[in-house]
Amino acid sequence: MPAISALALGVVLAAAGAGVEEAALPSPGSYTLQHIMPSPEGNVLDTKGKRVRLSRFTSGKVTLLSLIYTRCGDGTGCPLATHQMQQLKGRLDAEPGMNGRVRFVSLSFDPANDTPEVMRAYGARYLPNASGLPWHFLTTSSRAGIRPLLEGFGQDVWMRADGSGDGALPHVLKIFLIDRLGSVREIYSTSFLRPPVLLNDIRTLLMEERSAPASVRAAR
Amino acid sequence: MPTISRKSTAVAAALLLAASFGAAADETCNSPYVGSLIKGQEDFVYVWTLGIEGLGDGSDKLITIDVKPSSKTYGKVIHKVSVGSRGEAHHMGLTDDRRFLWAGGLDDSKIYVFDISKAPAKPRLVQTISDLPAKTGYVGPHTFYALPGRMLIGSLSNSNDGGGVTGMALFNNKGKLLTTYPLPAEGGGDGYGYDIAINPKKNVLLTSSFTGKKNYMRDLGDLVKDQEAMKHFGATLVVWDLKQMKPQKVLSVPGAPLEMRWSLKAKDNWAVTAAALTSKLWLVKQDAKGEWQGQAVADIGDPAKLPLPVDISITADGKGLWINTFMDGKTRYFDLSNPEKPVQAYEKITGKQVNMISQSWDGKRVYVTSSLLAHWDKTGDDGEQFLRAFKWDGKELTPAFEVDFLKEKLGRAHHMKLGSKALKLAFQDAGH
Repeated sequence: MPAISALALGVVLAAAGAGVEEAALPSPGSYTLQHIMPSPEGNVLDTKGKRVRLSRFTSGKVTLLSLIYTRCGDGTGCPLATHQMQQLKGRLDAEPGMNGRVRFVSLSFDPANDTPEVMRAYGARYLPNASGLPWHFLTTSSRAGIRPLLEGFGQDVWMRADGSGDGALPHVLKIFLIDRLGSVREIYSTSFLRPPVLLNDIRTLLMEERSAPASVRAAR
Repeated sequence: MPTISRKSTAVAAALLLAASFGAAADETCNSPYVGSLIKGQEDFVYVWTLGIEGLGDGSDKLITIDVKPSSKTYGKVIHKVSVGSRGEAHHMGLTDDRRFLWAGGLDDSKIYVFDISKAPAKPRLVQTISDLPAKTGYVGPHTFYALPGRMLIGSLSNSNDGGGVTGMALFNNKGKLLTTYPLPAEGGGDGYGYDIAINPKKNVLLTSSFTGKKNYMRDLGDLVKDQEAMKHFGATLVVWDLKQMKPQKVLSVPGAPLEMRWSLKAKDNWAVTAAALTSKLWLVKQDAKGEWQGQAVADIGDPAKLPLPVDISITADGKGLWINTFMDGKTRYFDLSNPEKPVQAYEKITGKQVNMISQSWDGKRVYVTSSLLAHWDKTGDDGEQFLRAFKWDGKELTPAFEVDFLKEKLGRAHHMKLGSKALKLAFQDAGH
């Protein structure tokens, strides 16, 4: 279990929730999500240790992908991301038709510790059964394997310059919303990580698919 | 080179009541999403510096000053990166992850991207974006506001007529232009731009307004005599729907509202801005019905003397605000405990001309620079150019050190950002 303070996470979640009800959010489909950048390609390992191309998990469905490491103890970081995704999954699973159109991915950037077995155990804590939309817990085989993916996503990962920090990897929490064609359409850091916003954005992408010309849908 | 004395500038400025000035943004606000990663004593201050013809290489440059008291080179310039041309260096902004520093030129409209992640003391120029006007029609990239994975750039002018009607341009962090957002020129809007301030949890973005290139690149002495030109300054603040990126409401804020700061206190949802010409502090918040409203809440000095507030810096707890006033060279501290009724609690003359102000992350140190715009700065003995560092104990600003930018042949000291070497990249190749 990561050394996350339950109190710290609780405080963050409370803060994240504060004001959400007050914020007037535009309705899904009433705005455009920019094509920020293409999702990068590379080899990853699934929970069985099988090598797979990342694009298998970032195309064909609307994808919510977080970059994490399981030892993360920052209440504003990975635990928050995974918890929020878990909550969001509950909401989406309750909506018919989401299962085949949306997936979640948690990809570790700490391959030295986060082996496929560790990722499987981590996932089991948040995904006690396999029902609902798919949630994949992935890692890579080496630092060389994760490096181009971090570069492609523009994800920073730091360490204390003086060697302190017990191997912690400080980073800006980022969750990426990726469309069916593998284009990153939104990025959520801690301040932007608000479930109602994520829900609206996912619906916006799904509505965009429905309104696309038949020829484009066929190409997908 | 403009020649305008402090006295004549004050007199000239007194002739106008419908104009404005320019300034910048402060460290605690422009990288709003990574505050928890770096705390305490900063190691460096980066200064985006305007070149002066005949001084040194005459080019704009990014200066690194060592500000760690225990360092052997404390208070000294330890690195400089010249961009090889002079384009009215003005403001800069950190990317959301603090790996890159984007800096702009108000004259040449170039955007420079410096990598500060691999060697924080020695920024490296890694990209130059030279086609902003050609691709967007906007000139004078001013505010660089980090969004996750993106940089939102607010401009001051346009390539059509050099006036104040302009917009914002959205780039991804790799330097690709994604889209543009024109400032509203109808429905009460003047289309002018200046600063950007975002409140994610309220889904709100604010923009303020200044003036166009044909004004800000003009000699101030000439400008203030031109009554028609002096009509073309911003008087609005626009409330945007952040997700939609559509204007929702235009607030009337006379006198060119410049820097804007949301309170950094977690549960606060109000912002402040200083209107330069009217020398008033404005509060922006929702009323009982949820409507965003602007309200003048305090005078900054004596507005009749046109002190010209040019930059502000809000404390991390949202209870205090530093304000620099250019004309009288004063650094002022306002108590914001009640944002509806701010009260000035302290003032000190920190230079013959002062413009930008940035406080440290812990609020214990304050940095001040001198330059407003190349053609608006004072001249002669009043035209000093510096970065001055002060210690702040809650009661008094005590000088810590000073870098004389003229003696060091650097140029005009403008915008500042704080740097740290506390962290290093875990994956050195995962960069720009």
